[in-house]
Amino acid sequence: MTNHTINLKGLMFLVADANPYFSRIVVGLLRSFGANNVTEARNSFDAIRTLTGQKVDLFLCDDKLPPHGGLQITHAIRRKTDNENRTVPILIMAGDTRESLVKIARDAGANMVVAKPLSPTSLYDRLTWIAFNPRQFVETPTYYGPDRRYKIEGYPGGVGRRVTDNIQVAEESGPALGQGDIDSLFKSARMGQD
Amino acid sequence: MSDKIKSSDKTKSDTNTLIVDTYFQKMARRAGGVPRAQALESAQTAIDNIKLSFSDWLDRELAGLTAEIRKGKLEKSDDLGWAAAAGMHSRRMRDVGTTMGFALVTFIANNLSRIFEAIVAGEKPQHDVIDCHIDALQLAKQEQYRHLRPEQLPELSTGLQRVLEFANEPSHGGFK
Repeated sequence: MTNHTINLKGLMFLVADANPYFSRIVVGLLRSFGANNVTEARNSFDAIRTLTGQKVDLFLCDDKLPPHGGLQITHAIRRKTDNENRTVPILIMAGDTRESLVKIARDAGANMVVAKPLSPTSLYDRLTWIAFNPRQFVETPTYYGPDRRYKIEGYPGGVGRRVTDNIQVAEESGPALGQGDIDSLFKSARMGQD
Repeated sequence: MSDKIKSSDKTKSDTNTLIVDTYFQKMARRAGGVPRAQALESAQTAIDNIKLSFSDWLDRELAGLTAEIRKGKLEKSDDLGWAAAAGMHSRRMRDVGTTMGFALVTFIANNLSRIFEAIVAGEKPQHDVIDCHIDALQLAKQEQYRHLRPEQLPELSTGLQRVLEFANEPSHGGFK
């Protein structure tokens, strides 16, 4: 395992969580790591508005972000072909990291799931892992996102493997949202922006 | 500024694999970042600063939680808005407790989150079990307990788990 350094200066981070206190912690951690451009969203409408209105370089989202939830937003962003943030690295933050949730997040197109409460080490090492372990994207009629066939050999900096990291290739399943639902999600966000 | 996407392979008729070099990956790998040890030290300082307001925040969340539980006890209809709101307060405490050095708060609030999630999903509220956890939360925020981990208080933590498991048994009409 290596001890990589990441340079977050000039990158645009979007932190989406309904809890302002938790969000303050995440923003504080990112700034400590060198990030100087962090914006926040308290609900899925704000998050989608930001994701449709400007380039975001990394998206950290609560899995239960009201009202749609982080996994539906992830799915919507990955399915929206004309969105410049379609390939943005997405880190889902979840209080409940049971294997079923991790699997659903992966199938929605998330890059990684990080457990709440966060520790500085877990966040830094996951960001490092995403930066230094690029994964090819896969596009099928029902999925667009990072290749789900990967195995974590160990996070940089010594964070150990978890049982849930032993990922099997999932069967493709139908989209959680229809194209009409995705379009209306974006339309609502745009209407709010106007 | 944009992510670079290059078609790599067409493995099956409907499957494309794409090489994606995101702007995040390209920029984060640049030299000149904050070294890991320094970043973590600086993060700890940031947490220590946020921690100054944690006790007040925790008191407000706990007050909000107990107010919702009171509403639930008086609720005669099937309206479960109180349980959804109580679940939100519980999750908030769970999500920040350990980061602020209050691991016991996270442990107890996690149990409460599961309880309210089950109630919202249709399980019958068991107010004795909820009250038992609220008493434990009141204890966990006191000076002599706040920095202890659940494993340092086995009587409390295993006791709460037993209460939860007992209530979860179908014969007690409990939650999953």
